Order: sequence, then structure tokens, then C-alpha cells
Amino acid sequence: MRRAFVTFLLFVVAAAGSRVLAHHSFAMFDTANPVTLNGIVADFQWTNPHVYIELDVPEGVRGAKHWTIELGSPSILMRGGWKFNSLKKGDKVTAVVSPLRDGQPGSLLTRITLADGRMLGNGGPAGVGPGTTEPGPGAVTTPRP
Amino acid sequence: MMTLGRTLIVTAAATLAALQGTGLIARAQSASPPGVSGAWVPMGAGRGVDPKIAPPPASPVVLKPEYAKAYDARRAAEAEATRRGEPPASAAVLCNPYGMPRMMSIASYPIEILPTPGQITIVTEAFSEVRRVYLDQPQLPIDEVPPGYYGHSVGRWEGDTLVIDTVGIKESVPGYNGMPHSSQMRIVERIRLVAPDVLHDQITIHDPVVLEKPLTYTLGYRRLPNYKMVEFVCENNREYVDEQGRVKMRLGK
Repeated sequence: MRRAFVTFLLFVVAAAGSRVLAHHSFAMFDTANPVTLNGIVADFQWTNPHVYIELDVPEGVRGAKHWTIELGSPSILMRGGWKFNSLKKGDKVTAVVSPLRDGQPGSLLTRITLADGRMLGNGGPAGVGPGTTEPGPGAVTTPRP
Repeated sequence: MMTLGRTLIVTAAATLAALQGTGLIARAQSASPPGVSGAWVPMGAGRGVDPKIAPPPASPVVLKPEYAKAYDARRAAEAEATRRGEPPASAAVLCNPYGMPRMMSIASYPIEILPTPGQITIVTEAFSEVRRVYLDQPQLPIDEVPPGYYGHSVGRWEGDTLVIDTVGIKESVPGYNGMPHSSQMRIVERIRLVAPDVLHDQITIHDPVVLEKPLTYTLGYRRLPNYKMVEFVCENNREYVDEQGRVKMRLGK
């Protein structure tokens, strides 16, 4: 029983690096041109259909630029090693994100390095196959052909 | 003693008759075989899946000509919009649940099957959708079922296979692969274990109005022992649809 669940988790981890779809298509994000953000967590919202990180990124003497980072759903993220309290306000993090194509400071998380050095991806699913499954809300999946 | 014995027999016979009258005996007969209850995660037929337990390929969607043209045009327009980075909105963007039959095939989200006497309840993790399958009851005429996301489902066990018949799905609920369907759609599922921890749900869509011929596809699931379903309340949906029908994201401050 336990072995089956461990296998499931391993699959999740293996899938965590895959490209992303969700309850909306992620075509609005530019996944080909990732951006690295070093910033301070202003808010961490553990909600459905997506989890969000609000991040203040210092920009020289002008202050900080605020970024919104979208993640998968809590269900998906938990299976990728996240917890509801993985981040808290004031944490210093480094996030690699895919920015919105329209130039607004919104983005989709690829991976994040937490203050303690741990690295987390954007969750991960299990059992995604061609033809018979629909992209789920907040799911991190391999796009169907 | 003889009198007592005779009394007991008479009482037992009377009780049996009463139970048959209430349908409890019939329900007990269709108690679900062990093995299907619990949490299951969708499993495709992709790389690394043993062909012996992989779900077979789906049959093609063959729509009647009057529906095929519009369907093909819409699919092409959606693909083109997505290529431009302007994905068209779907019902799920607005946090509307999937309904039947798509709720059974949401990638990466488990379902939970809960057999109880006379009923099998299926709960999905995505959007916390619930369908109730009433065992050993006659199906209602389609026109008597209020159209909804889950319709009216009845089921019966044929040996090791749970056969479910569902009618009454709203026309506005998107169908398999976004295909249209009419109010006359009937969904027939045959659910069975193909291995101790692998479940198949063979789904056949009958729709004499929209389809040239019934469509059959099979969903596969892997058992998730001891999995605790996660709640899913759509409370923070930042996606919205702009005037041009494009999906946009609300930013925080």
C-alpha cells in the first residue's frame, strides 16, 4: 500500500518539471523566456483554483517592483512537496517564472528557492495520458498533442 | 419447542416478505464487490504504462454534418488563438464545474468511489463534484430528468462490472473533447478492475441527435491507497475573460 503511494509521489516529482497547463490555458505566459526574481514575499495565498505568491522585488534606489506569481492548486502542489506554510511574509526567495506576454508584472512559477535553500517546482500530477484526460484546474501537466 | 420453532419460521418468512416489499433484499444483492472503493488517479496510455492495463484508444468522434462543421471551425479557432497567446475562455476558467462526463477525466486529480447499500457515490477532487449512482433502480425517461451537470444515474453490477446509465445532462455542459451534445445524450459506463490496483471506465456516449454513431473511450485509473482527498473551493480565481473573450489574470498589489 505504502509502496504504491511512494511510487505515485515519485511520479509526481518526475512530472514536476514538465510544461504547464491549468484550468485555463497558460498560453498567456511566455514560457520560452523565463525571468529570475529575487524578492521578499509580501503574501502567500494558499487558495483554489491557484496558489499565489505576491513578491516585492527590489529595484535599485527606485524601491521595489511588485510581481504576482501563479502556482498550481493546493492539491497539485502538496503532491509536489509544498505545504500551506512553505512560505511566509518576509521570506527572501528566488523564483524563476514565465512572465505574462502582455508585459504586466504577472507570471507563472517554474521553480523557487526558499530562504532555507530548498527548491520547489510548480507541483506535479500523476497519470496524465494522451487522448482521454482533460487538463485539470491548476494542474501541472504535459500538454496534449 | 415445536411451537416456538414454527413461530420463528413464520416470523422469519414475514420479515423476508417485508424486506422484499421495501426493496432492501434487492439492494443487498447488488452490494458492490470489494475492490473499487477508495481513491483513484487518472492513468493514461502514455509511455511507461503496461499495455495490458493501458486504456484502449478512443473511437473517433463522428458528428452529424450539421454539427461537424461548426465543431471543427471552433476547434481550429481555439488552437489558433492559443498559438497567438490569447487562449479562449472555457467554463473552467470561471470555476464552473466540469459535469458529466468530463469530470471523470480531469488530469492529475483523483476521484473517490464510495459504495454504500443501494448507492455508489463518486466524488472528484477538482471542484469537489459529486455524482450519485442509484443501484438496481429503473432509469427515468430523459424528459423527466431536470437537465443538470450530473443528470440521473442508475447502476447495476453485472458480475465484476459496474454498469452505469446516465441521462439528463444540460446541453450547455461541454462534452468529451468539447464536442456538442443534445438533451438526448445517454452515457453508459462499464467500470471494472483490470488489475488489483487498476480500474477502467469504458464510456459510451449515445446521442442520436448529434452523433452519427456512438462514441466509446476508456479512462484508466490507478489506486491511491490511503489517499485523503483535498478540498477544492474556488475562492481566489484571478482569471477573467476580457471583452475580446481572452483569458486575463488579475494582479495583486
